[in-house]
Amino acid sequence: LKNLFQNQKQEENHFDFEIICQQNQKAKQFQFKTHKSILSTRSQYFKSLFNSKMKEYQENKLILKDFSNSILSSILNYLYSGKIEINSENAVEILMFSSKYLIDELIEVSSNFIKQN
Amino acid sequence: MSRKMILRVPKFQEPKRMEKSEAQRLWLLLKDAIVEVQHMNASTLSFEELYRSSYSLVIAKRGDILYTGLEEVNNHHTKNLLDKIAQAVDERFLIELNSQWQQYKLQQIMIHDILMYLDRMYVKEPQLKVFDLGMFKWKQNVLIHSQINDRLVRMLLGLIHMERNGEVIDGALMKSLIQMYVDVSLKEKETYKQEFEERFLLATSHFYKSESNLFITNNSCGAYLKKVEIRLIEEEARIKQYLDESTGPKLIKACEDELIANHMQTMIEMETGCRTMIQNDRFNELKLMYRLFQRVENGLVHLKNEFAGYVRNEGHKIVNQPENLKDPNALITSLIEIRNRFEKTLSQSFANNRDFINSVNTAFESFLNENDKLSESLALFIDKKLRGGFKDSNDQEIDVIMNKVILLFRFLSDKDVFKKFYEHYLAKRLLSGRSFSEDLERTMISKFKQECGNQFTSKMEGMFTDMRLSKDALDGFKNYLQTSVEMGKLPKIDMSVRVLTQGFWPTFPPHSCTLPPLLSQYCDLFTKYYCHAHTGRRIIWQTNIGTAEVTFRLPKKTHVLALSTYQMLIMLLFNDAEKLSLKQMAAGTSISFMDIQRSVKPLYSGKYKVLKRTPAVEKSKELSENDIFELNLNLKCKLHRIKFAATSQTDSEPERQHTRQRVDEDRKIEIDAAIVRIMKSRKALIHNDLIVECTKQLSSRFVPQTSMIKKRIENLIEREYLERFPDDRRRYRYLA
Repeated sequence: LKNLFQNQKQEENHFDFEIICQQNQKAKQFQFKTHKSILSTRSQYFKSLFNSKMKEYQENKLILKDFSNSILSSILNYLYSGKIEINSENAVEILMFSSKYLIDELIEVSSNFIKQN
Repeated sequence: MSRKMILRVPKFQEPKRMEKSEAQRLWLLLKDAIVEVQHMNASTLSFEELYRSSYSLVIAKRGDILYTGLEEVNNHHTKNLLDKIAQAVDERFLIELNSQWQQYKLQQIMIHDILMYLDRMYVKEPQLKVFDLGMFKWKQNVLIHSQINDRLVRMLLGLIHMERNGEVIDGALMKSLIQMYVDVSLKEKETYKQEFEERFLLATSHFYKSESNLFITNNSCGAYLKKVEIRLIEEEARIKQYLDESTGPKLIKACEDELIANHMQTMIEMETGCRTMIQNDRFNELKLMYRLFQRVENGLVHLKNEFAGYVRNEGHKIVNQPENLKDPNALITSLIEIRNRFEKTLSQSFANNRDFINSVNTAFESFLNENDKLSESLALFIDKKLRGGFKDSNDQEIDVIMNKVILLFRFLSDKDVFKKFYEHYLAKRLLSGRSFSEDLERTMISKFKQECGNQFTSKMEGMFTDMRLSKDALDGFKNYLQTSVEMGKLPKIDMSVRVLTQGFWPTFPPHSCTLPPLLSQYCDLFTKYYCHAHTGRRIIWQTNIGTAEVTFRLPKKTHVLALSTYQMLIMLLFNDAEKLSLKQMAAGTSISFMDIQRSVKPLYSGKYKVLKRTPAVEKSKELSENDIFELNLNLKCKLHRIKFAATSQTDSEPERQHTRQRVDEDRKIEIDAAIVRIMKSRKALIHNDLIVECTKQLSSRFVPQTSMIKKRIENLIEREYLERFPDDRRRYRYLA
C-alpha cells in the first residue's frame, strides 16, 4: 500500500489538490501537488476538509501559514510513504504540526524523540 | 552536565492565555461560520481558517468560550426549527421534520469537523461531545417537545398500522424518522426505547391480539398457521426496513406471544387443529405448526404431548382390538404400519426431534406391554415370515421388516418371554423342515444378537449346529447300516433322525408311545450306532414331534399321507381293525388321550377326511373316549400326497401355559443369581434397596414382579445364602 502511495506521488498526472505553504505575506510561496484520495485516507483533518465542501474543496487549494516549507514537505512525505526522519532540527515543529492536525502516530514518535534527547 | 542541548526550540513557547478581546474575535468568526453552516451557506468559508481558530482558542485555554457559545447557537437554532416544523400540517409534518432533521444532521457533522480540535482536546466527560451536543439540543428542543413527540409517534404508528392492513407507505421516510430516535439517544438508545419502541410494541401486541382472535374463529387452523407465518415474515422484513435492529427480538417476541403462545391450546384442540392434522397425516400443516410452536416457550411440549397421547391411544386400540388378539399376524402388521406412519410424521413434520421420538417410543413401550400377548404374537409373526412369508419380498424389504421386528422387540419389557417363544417356534420350524431359508433365519438371529448380545442367541445358534451335526450323524448311520450284519435281516425303511442337544432346545413335554416293531428296531440300531460314535451320550427319543409318510390304499386309488408320528401310529392300528374307539387307540399306541384327540381331529374333520366317525355326529361335538372311528374308504381327493397338520398352527393353551411356566422357572434362577450377585458385593442391604437394585439389573431381560423377588429372597434365606439381621428384620446379610 505504501509503495502504491509513493508511486502515486511520483506520478506527474492525476494531481487534484494543491497545498501552498506561505508563512507570511512576503515569504516565498511553496506549492505541493497532492492527491485528495491519499490525504483523505491518511488524515482525519483532510477527510473532514474535503467532506465539508468548503472553500478549499471548491478551489482545490489549501493555504497553510504556520509551518515551514521543509516541515510540510516531510509531513507530506510521511502521509504518502509512512516514513519520516526526525532529528533535532525538526522534532519540535513536527510535534507542533501533528498536534494541531491530530496525527496521533506522529505526535507519539516526535514527542518520544524530544524526551529522549 | 557540560553537554550542550542542541535541540532548537524556535517559536515554541508555552502559549500565553489569549487576550479576552482576541478570544471574542475568534469566537465571533466561528459563530458566524456556524450560522452560515446552519443556513447551508458553507461553500465560501475556509475550513482551514475555522479549524485554526478553534485550535487557537483551545490551546490558548479559551475552549470554554467556544463550547458554551456553541451550545447557545445550537439552542437557538433548534428552537427556531421547532416553530417551523410544528407549523407543518398533515403529511407535510413528517416530510418537513425529516428534511429539517437530515439537514441538521449534516450541519452537525460539519460543525464537528470544523471543531475537531475542540472535540478531541477540550471536551471532557461529563461534557457532551460536539456532535452529541447537537443531537441533544435537537432532542431537547425539537423531538421530545410536546408539539412534536406525541404527534410524531402517533403518525408513525398510524402508518405502520396502515401497512399491516396492506397499504403501501414510504419506508425510507419511516426509517429516517425512526432512526432519529436512535441518533438522539446518548446511550443505549434510551430515547428510542422510551419514546418510540415501548409504544410501538404495545400497539403491535394490541393489533395482533385482535387480529388473531378474529382470524382464528373464522378460519381453519391450517389457514391460521399460514397467516401467522406470513405475519412473522412481514415483521422480520419490517425490522430490516425501518426499525432499529435492537427491536427485532422484542417485536418478534410480542408477535409470537399474541399469534402463537396465546392460541396454542386452541390450535391443538380446535376442530381443524392439531389432533385432526395428526389423524389425517397432514404433514405440511404439522410441520408448520412445529416450526411456529418451536418459537415459543413450552410450545413443543404441548405439541409433543398431544402427539404422544395420540400415538398411545392408537396403539392401545390396536393391541386391544378383538380381531388382532386372535390374529398375531394382523396385530404385528398393524403395529408395524402405525410405527411407519408415526415415523413418517416424525421425520416429515417434527424434524425428527429427539424429544418427540423419545415420547413416541415411551408410548410404544407402554401400549406394547399392556398385555402379555405381544411377545408371543411377535414370535409368531416372525415364524410366519420365516416359514415362507418372505418368499415374495426382496432383500431390502426383508431387512426393513426385520428391523421393524427388532424395533418392536426393543420395546418389550419381558424379553425373556419373547425369547422362549421365539426358540419354541424356531425349534418347530427346524424340526418340521418348514424354515424357508437358513440364511434368513441366521440374519434374524444376528439382529437379535446385535441387540441383546451373545447370551440371548446362544441357544438358537446351538439349534442350527445340532441340525448340521444331525445330518452328519444320519449320513454316518446310513453307511453303518450298509456294513452292519443285522441289516440283512431287516426290511429297508427310510428313517431320518435328528439329534438335539438338551438345553439348546425347548423341552418338549415327555410323552411315550409304542412304536411299531420295525421302527423300534431301527431306533435301537441308531442308538447303538450313535452311542458307539459318541461315548458318554444318552439318547431320549422324542417321538411326539416326528413326522411320517404312510401309504393309504383305497379300492380305486392310492394316496400318500404326510402325518405326524402319532397319527401314523393311529392309522397303522387300522391295518388290523375296522373300527376303533379312541380308548382303543390310546391303548394300542400308549399315547395319552389328549394327544389322541389332537391327532385324530385333523384326520376326520379336515378338508380331506381319511377317518369317519360312526355313527356320524355333529362336527362340533367334543370327542369322548368311546367315540368310534373307521377308515373313510370313499375319500375323494385329486392329490396324490395329502398333508395333515399335526396340530393347529398356533399352540394350544396348555402348550402356551407350558412355555409360560418355563419362563417363570428361568426367571427364578435369574432372580436368584441377581440377588446373590448383589448381596455378594454389598454384603448387607435393606430390603427395598435390594428390590430396586435387582429390578434394575434384570430390566434388560424382563421386569420382575416384586412379589416374586420377595419369594426368592425367602427361598435364599431358607437355603442359607442370606440371613436377616436379628435386630432389624428389614436388613439382609450375605452368608459366604
